[in-house]
Amino acid sequence: MRRHRRWFTGAVLAGGIIVLAVFPLNSTPYTNYQIALVATYAVAILGLNLVSGYAGQISLGQSAFFGLGGYCSAIATVKAGWPLPASFLLACALPAAVGLVVAIPAVRLRGHGLAIFTLALPLIGVALAKRYADLTGGSEGLGARISQAPAWTGLDRDQWTYYVVLAIAGALFLLARNMVTGRLGRALSTIRENEVVAVSMGISPQKYKALAFAMAATFGGAAGWLYVYTIGFISPVEMEFLLSINLLAMMVVGGMGSVLGSLLGGVLYVYIPIAVGTVDPVRTTLLYGAILVLVLFFAPGGIARALHRAGDWLGGARAGSGPGPQRPSAATTAEQGVSPMTKT
Amino acid sequence: MTVRAVQQVIDGLASGSIYGALALALVLAHRATGVVNFAQGQMAVVSTFFAWSFVQAGLGVIPAVVLTVAASLLFGAAVERVAMRRFERESPMIAIVATVGLLLLLNGMSSLIWGYELKAFPPAFSSGTLRAGGAVVSITALGTFLVLVAVVLLLYALMMRTRLGLALRAVADNPDSSALSGLPVGHLLMVGWGLAAGLGAIAGCLVAPKLYLDPNMLAGVLVYALAAAVLGGFDSPLGAVVAAWIIGVSENLAATYIGFIGNDLRISVPLLLTVLVLLFRPQGLFGRREVVRV
Repeated sequence: MRRHRRWFTGAVLAGGIIVLAVFPLNSTPYTNYQIALVATYAVAILGLNLVSGYAGQISLGQSAFFGLGGYCSAIATVKAGWPLPASFLLACALPAAVGLVVAIPAVRLRGHGLAIFTLALPLIGVALAKRYADLTGGSEGLGARISQAPAWTGLDRDQWTYYVVLAIAGALFLLARNMVTGRLGRALSTIRENEVVAVSMGISPQKYKALAFAMAATFGGAAGWLYVYTIGFISPVEMEFLLSINLLAMMVVGGMGSVLGSLLGGVLYVYIPIAVGTVDPVRTTLLYGAILVLVLFFAPGGIARALHRAGDWLGGARAGSGPGPQRPSAATTAEQGVSPMTKT
Repeated sequence: MTVRAVQQVIDGLASGSIYGALALALVLAHRATGVVNFAQGQMAVVSTFFAWSFVQAGLGVIPAVVLTVAASLLFGAAVERVAMRRFERESPMIAIVATVGLLLLLNGMSSLIWGYELKAFPPAFSSGTLRAGGAVVSITALGTFLVLVAVVLLLYALMMRTRLGLALRAVADNPDSSALSGLPVGHLLMVGWGLAAGLGAIAGCLVAPKLYLDPNMLAGVLVYALAAAVLGGFDSPLGAVVAAWIIGVSENLAATYIGFIGNDLRISVPLLLTVLVLLFRPQGLFGRREVVRV
């Protein structure tokens, strides 16, 4: 059963990669940019998932790191003339450092201290971006068309952007998957289920929560870089609090504690407004909120978990016995009365 | 110089009172159901829109606010029963995410119903000033402060001197034992959330003349209120109010006297203050130290 499933997953992945590789050659620039944006937001949601889905801490500040990464890339390339790879490293490192500085006091709070702390980050970020207008372009934002297809590829800008963004996003997804299925993931899920047990096993909850938060910030920053690479522009709007909670909503809808769920979250974040044919932010907010509440009521593990269950049902296996990166969310785990710990 | 400082302190107490009202709401909802309600500010905005509609319908400001507080009691109770009840026994994280969903829903709905252009909200107090010594105190600042003091006293009387208050405290302390003692736990949770929404309505109506009414009016205030609740210990109503005053005053003083902070970065003050305090007292100023039992 397990081997069969692994073979199936491999085939789906290989097929998916081939489709994704061929796709941009025949599609419109509009669609290519859209898919690059899906990958971009999926990375931001993946980061959020590391801290929320795996470490069990709500972060409402992901947009601050997204914006910080975006500004790093735009300022480093346009204002300072850095090469692209260096700007990418900066867009990961600076948010990571800020994340760590914020997380170290925040994880000392019991309960959901991180949520309350992170709530302030987008507001501070927007204020800073507006204040240092020389550097950031203030409210008008900063244009940075940093993506350009090398001549030897013969690709258009949109196709090149698509490949670069998807390749980086794919690498980050692989990195996250390896992290959450390895030592870090086990430590985090132990902390999430029972901190006392974690402490008695020599796992420091504070250290790992801070680490998870720094990782989330890093992914947020990387997503900000990808955003600027795709859109060629960054402004304080991309930092606003509403983006944070929309990302959080789509993470939960996609599937908390699931790598696949983060990808689904990115798809939903970009395509829900398009599907209903509105770019009106008011309608979108209402829609994100309504979908989030519906999912919480009827499928608390999110779509990834529901898909997983459907797959198990089709395969005739009992729910929850499959392999893969999916972890049951805290809620579904409590429902089943089984913690991941008892299985490992 | 000193006169200016005194004035800053008084203004700080006034804005602190507004943070305090919302922080009290957060603490009440948290004590009732153990949920940090991130939608508290958004619920208060909806209440303020009620008040605005009443005023548009021709009511005076004070009757409109009173009516709004009454309506908000029902609104808060309904939100608890319809939206939150299901998530209260789940993991705290799911409950918080549910409040975030509520925030998005209410934000979208109020934009849809009332639009998102700024609306002027009539002040409840006259715009005059009082002179005491060299300092000039605006009646609005004084009134806001006194309203919060009155609210705290009323709440204290309700919680400590009535059977309902006793029941509410019992449910906050131990819902299971309360249920076994025959208390209607579900109804009391609704009362807790109703009271919280009523307090939010007061905060919203007090701050709306200054900030102008729009669906995102209280996003910033919520940060201050959460910081106040955390600083006060999240279980202590008095702690929340005192912390809110401390935050209001220090924010005003920092914005005036620390050049780097200025007006646009004053939102960082509650954050820094909370960090500083929590490094030394993780349970907050007035909170009980939590002992983890295995």
